[in-house]
Amino acid sequence: MGNYFIRHTQVFLATLGDMARSPAATINTVLIIAITLLLPSLLYVLIKSSQGLSDSWQGRPQLSIFLQKDASDAEAQLIFQEIQLHPAIELAEFVTPKQALEEFRLLSETASFDEELEFLGGNPLPASIVLMPNKQSANSENLTELKDQLSKIDGIDTIRLDLDWTERFNAIIGTVSRIGLLLSILLGLGLVLIVGNTIKLLIHNRRDEIEVTKLVGGTNIFVRRPFLYYGTLLGLLGALFSLAFLLLAAGLVDEPLSKLASLYQRQSLVYQLEAAEVAAIIVAGGALGWLAARWSVAQHLWRIKPR
Amino acid sequence: MIKLSHINKRYPNGHEALKDVSFHIEPGEMVFLAGHSGAGKSTLFKLITRIEKPTSGQIFIDKKNVSRLSEAKVPFLRREIGVIFQDHKLLMDRTVFDNVALPLIVIGMPHDEIKKRVRAALGKVGLSGKESQKPITLSGGEQQRVGIARAVINRPSILLADEPTGNLDEALSDEIIDIFADFNQVGVTVLIATHDLRQVERLAKRTLHLEQGQLIGDYQHNSQENNAGNIQPGTSQEQQDG
Repeated sequence: MGNYFIRHTQVFLATLGDMARSPAATINTVLIIAITLLLPSLLYVLIKSSQGLSDSWQGRPQLSIFLQKDASDAEAQLIFQEIQLHPAIELAEFVTPKQALEEFRLLSETASFDEELEFLGGNPLPASIVLMPNKQSANSENLTELKDQLSKIDGIDTIRLDLDWTERFNAIIGTVSRIGLLLSILLGLGLVLIVGNTIKLLIHNRRDEIEVTKLVGGTNIFVRRPFLYYGTLLGLLGALFSLAFLLLAAGLVDEPLSKLASLYQRQSLVYQLEAAEVAAIIVAGGALGWLAARWSVAQHLWRIKPR
Repeated sequence: MIKLSHINKRYPNGHEALKDVSFHIEPGEMVFLAGHSGAGKSTLFKLITRIEKPTSGQIFIDKKNVSRLSEAKVPFLRREIGVIFQDHKLLMDRTVFDNVALPLIVIGMPHDEIKKRVRAALGKVGLSGKESQKPITLSGGEQQRVGIARAVINRPSILLADEPTGNLDEALSDEIIDIFADFNQVGVTVLIATHDLRQVERLAKRTLHLEQGQLIGDYQHNSQENNAGNIQPGTSQEQQDG
């Protein structure tokens, strides 16, 4: 057991030494791996950020009910209470004409707001109710039914359902996710080929060493071990570099995006990777590197036999 | 220790390297394998170390049937046999220390122990202090000694040497062969392939004579009797060593 540990430590250090002896080639391969891993990671962050955006609407469509302009406060309250009792509704918020006006004033940033208002002859906005349906009802069929039911209530002017936009948005994210998955698989395959080829060259460069090692009683497992370490280390280093690039990319888009975020009254739009996701990228790099080395070794190492 | 019975080796290109070769070397013996180049000496070594497999016949090393050994067990066979190659087979980009240490690194020996053993082995072949040099900076004789140090470092029970005095002068050749004789003195079975008949006669050991793939002689040289040709029944193939 102690020997086993010693052997692995020796191989690990020797592999680092080998990498350091040919820094240009090592960095070249590591960068290729990093960029290969970067593309799917970037796409993942993009999707996650978009989902964060859609989550800020709780991922569910909203119904906006505009009451008739001439409805009195008492009438409006009655309608609000009636709607609140509906089983398909999770949350209902009553917005008075005054509140609506204040919100509009905040967003419009026009200095002459009050003058314009005067021109209109007072507050033109009606009282409204913003509804969020519960989960079971948050599909297009149920929502359309709900809309029909609510429109029968007296005193309601119009009901707006932001269904199309939400659905379209979710469909786009779904498509992009699928493309991302496909791209990840293809790039993962590419990574295996890149590392596999590097290992193949390494095996050919070390032909003599492999031959002599086999002659003095080195087992196949012993002979292949440094190559597995090499592949795994390349993958791990590639993953670390790709994380660094990811941080850099996030930093670059953060400023323009935060301007956009302020419009949506959110803190940041860029999705921050969690520790588990960072670990997953590193593990993915290492695992793909190991897999590539395994594959390459299986193809090329056994052919080298002492003569 | 080394037993061949009715060994034939035909290479894929049709060349018949060995034809019905049988002999038995007892533990602790020192034997010369004589013959011109192309007589089949190198092939014989390749069969013993399972670099090649015989076309037919059986090889036993220390009672293990080499021809039936699974691929996975071949490395363990090679750990019991120290081989000195005609072309040295040293790694020129590694230090003398790394070259000699290789058989010990392969078995996962701790570094401190490796250091001690490498020093001792290099001392024995007269190369003390050359640990950190590259083999390329050494003379042919010195390179040959590095090969010997590597072959004996793991204390094998069998030493095989393929033309160890190949292109060395007489004095150097004597030194090298004497190193083998020393190991034989402490019980190591030694088999040396050579066409250097001077050494064969000088040491007066048992000699197997190969000619065009056939064993044409199995002589026991006696110090008084220098004219080879005295074939002794010696060790027959039928004799079982256990």
